[in-house]
Amino acid sequence: MSDPRGLDAPLRRALAVAVLAAVMPLLLQLPGTVAAGIALVGAVAGWSALRRPLPGALRLLLVVAISGAVLVGFGFRLGRDAGSALLLAMLVLKLSELRDVADARRLAAYALFAPFAAFLQDQGPLTLALGLLAAAGTLLAMGRLARAPRPPPPAAIELGGLARGLLLALPLALVGFWLFPRLPTPLWGLPENAVARSGISGSMSPGDWIDLLADDTPAFRVRFEGPRPPSDQLYWRGPVLTRFDGRRWTEAEGLEGLPPAELPAGPVVARYTITLEPTERRYVFALDLPSGAPPPLALGFDATLRSRDPLRSLAQFSLEAVATAGYEPDLPPMLRALHLALPEGFNPRTRERAVAWRSEAGDDRRYIRRILEWFNAEHAYSISAPPLGRHTADEFLFDTREGFCEHFSSAFVILMRAAGIPARVVTGYTGGVENRVGGFWVVRQMDAHAWTEVWLDGEGWIRVDPTAAVAPERIFDTLEDTLGAGGGLGAAMRPVFDFGDSLREAWNSFVVAYDAARQAELLRGLGWAGAGALEVGQAFIIAAGIALALTLLVLLRPARRERDPLVRAWRAFLRRLARRGWRKRTDESAHAFALRLDAAGASTDARTAAALARRYAALRYAASAGDGADGERAALARALRGYRLRPDQRAPRAAPVG
Amino acid sequence: MASDDAAVPPAGGRDRLDDGLARLPFVRGRAPEPLPVTLDRRRIYVLPTGHGLLVGTVLLAMLLGALNYNNNPGLLLAFLLAAVVHNGALVAHLRLSGLTVSALQADPVHEGGVLQLRLRVDSGARGREGVIVRGSTGVEVFLPPEAEAPGGGGEVRLAMPAPRRGWQAVGRLRISTTRPLGLVRAWSWIHPAEPLLVYPALEASPPPLPGADSADAARPRAKRSGDDTHHLRDYRSGDAPRQIAWKASARVDRLLVREYEAGSAGDVALAWASLRHLPYEARIARLARWVVDAEREGRRYRLVLPTGTLGPARGPEHRHACLRALALMPESGA
Repeated sequence: MSDPRGLDAPLRRALAVAVLAAVMPLLLQLPGTVAAGIALVGAVAGWSALRRPLPGALRLLLVVAISGAVLVGFGFRLGRDAGSALLLAMLVLKLSELRDVADARRLAAYALFAPFAAFLQDQGPLTLALGLLAAAGTLLAMGRLARAPRPPPPAAIELGGLARGLLLALPLALVGFWLFPRLPTPLWGLPENAVARSGISGSMSPGDWIDLLADDTPAFRVRFEGPRPPSDQLYWRGPVLTRFDGRRWTEAEGLEGLPPAELPAGPVVARYTITLEPTERRYVFALDLPSGAPPPLALGFDATLRSRDPLRSLAQFSLEAVATAGYEPDLPPMLRALHLALPEGFNPRTRERAVAWRSEAGDDRRYIRRILEWFNAEHAYSISAPPLGRHTADEFLFDTREGFCEHFSSAFVILMRAAGIPARVVTGYTGGVENRVGGFWVVRQMDAHAWTEVWLDGEGWIRVDPTAAVAPERIFDTLEDTLGAGGGLGAAMRPVFDFGDSLREAWNSFVVAYDAARQAELLRGLGWAGAGALEVGQAFIIAAGIALALTLLVLLRPARRERDPLVRAWRAFLRRLARRGWRKRTDESAHAFALRLDAAGASTDARTAAALARRYAALRYAASAGDGADGERAALARALRGYRLRPDQRAPRAAPVG
Repeated sequence: MASDDAAVPPAGGRDRLDDGLARLPFVRGRAPEPLPVTLDRRRIYVLPTGHGLLVGTVLLAMLLGALNYNNNPGLLLAFLLAAVVHNGALVAHLRLSGLTVSALQADPVHEGGVLQLRLRVDSGARGREGVIVRGSTGVEVFLPPEAEAPGGGGEVRLAMPAPRRGWQAVGRLRISTTRPLGLVRAWSWIHPAEPLLVYPALEASPPPLPGADSADAARPRAKRSGDDTHHLRDYRSGDAPRQIAWKASARVDRLLVREYEAGSAGDVALAWASLRHLPYEARIARLARWVVDAEREGRRYRLVLPTGTLGPARGPEHRHACLRALALMPESGA
């Protein structure tokens, strides 16, 4: 590229690498098909950036194609994730129109934003590390842009300079991170994702949790203060499903205005802090039964906790659980009717069985016991249950006779309602695994569970888990038990996994959850009484001043050691001569200095020095520095270092030169 | 000192902003000042470039978003980048601070030629990588490598057209850098007081030198056939193209000029008064031409001007004195 305004090959390579690094963290957060599409377009655009520009029509076609693909991939819903994907697509496409320096500058500025978009999806350490790498790549490209049209320096010097710049920025950056006043409440909400994350969703039909039950990503982590309840009491209550349309269980809609459930003032059985992974939903899972709703949360009529806004980033709450021995002994008629409703035309056999057995049993409790015994005797737990047709409960109870928690809880509630007992499905999680390294509990998506609540006259809502009647080990068995039985590699790796997850938990509580409240706490810990936004601001200014002083201290140090050993040796040589009184003037060339040395003294010292100076001038400033000059340079450097004035000639300052 | 090839193209749209800034009342380097000048913090200015403004907008958006969502990785990234940019501004400032411009020279050229400014720059304690000097005409040149190293020094060469004879002001020079990231530009203006001399233009095809004896005023063309009557010397600025020995030049790959044996010719009187029939500037151009020709032919010459008489003498000093006197002739007819 002869055009000095054009972009030469090293610059184009740096830009391609910067875009690759910038795209990476966000690409890993996107659904596979969309990510693959963007990667493909990126490869084409990258090739174009390095080789030759694509024709305008093809670029336009690519823009339309990739935008369409992203929209289709997200089902034509524009959410945060779809927006991020479009941003990535445009970023990689920008690579294909690198015409001049201005294009390159715009590309570098956009590339800086990509890691931030990734952080809106995930705040894990891996994403942060990739994001920092991306920023470094972009800074490298900017450095090359600033040097243009000069070629980039050797890689070691370039990367060293980049690392030095980042290290030097660290004091100021950390002060900003810790002490820049945070917003106590957001000014605007985070846009929603178009594609929901997997997890408990507020609706359920038998058999649709198969994927969820194989997903081992954490749903939340819990740290108990004091004793924890026994394993078979670890029911983490989530959405309560009351409406049944014959096929699907859903939450009752339009009942948000109902007064919250009356919770019993029973003894507190557990105090804990729960850290929920982002779900994009408002449910807050709480140990059954929560004692109440602390301020940012609200309690529904179905005794479920909800947050005001969807959980779009890690959220932490301190909660209490109370013992449950039936609650809400008085059920208003409207709610009673809601919990007895069954759609007509579904599951005739089940309803028949319910009516018959209820009248035979004579009392609700005996009827429930008989149903559970029937489940236990004639039904089996199986995660690979066959799909069901129109009458889900009929087919499950009388034909296939195998299923998992969804089948059991759904059929059980239908049996209860058909027999005139108010009942509902409760979804959530059970159990969890203790992390022995970190001392906390991890509950994963695979711990998802559905159980039921029935309302008995005079007692109120009581938890009944029909799946536990069949296969208690499938519910409460923790990973520990399964691994303990199998032994081998899994058990041996357990401490490693525990350690990894405890690092993640520490990351979550120290980095991700750091906010305005923690900031105030930090200052109080340092003895800064009554820390409000103003005090935090003052602390920030003071600390930033100190960080700036530190940075300046480093920047103002005299220039670095000369890298070229020959020049280093030459300067040391000049210093030795200067002690003798033979000073080279700054505006004097090495050659002129040699002439002056010759003229100055008849001593052998001066003549040797002059010869060395001449060799130096020839080697360093000669127009034709040949290939074989390296050995010569080393030899001269040795000679310069080895040059010593003879002691007898040092004493008199007789022949000052200069 | 191979800095001529390091010329970078002028900045373009920024120039007007630059001029506006330079006229602000508090700006240093507005009035001419004697060299040497050492750049210090009082005369170094730092502002974001266009690229810097764009990146700043992106960073601001990031910072606001991260604060609003309390997104800690995002906040860390935004602060880290902001700190890098901020330190970049410090580095750019320090890259100029302590730089000394100690001398300015240019060999005189004739009107219409191009002055080659030689600016002596000493780097002082710090490295000066990527520092650019811009002349008042907009041409930009990197410091030579010797001047970029700490403790080094070198000459920056700037080309500058010389449109008028006489003293020419150097104008405002801008010393700037956008390193390390191209996001901020640190710059300083210096306005050297040293004027540069521009010789008068030479008349293209003048009549022969006036002489005491017109036979003596030998025409070069008449002697062209005899090879031994002249020797070759290197081209000097101001030599007429027709005197260039093209064939010989092609052989040795540099310009050679025929020079004629001198000695026999007599003194010449170049008198202002003898050219009354010519317009004012044309008289100057003719006299300048004659000075050059007489010097080339090795004759002693005397320049008689209304302001005084120079010579008779010959040699480079005399030639310079005559051309200087002609260059400094007052404007038309005064």
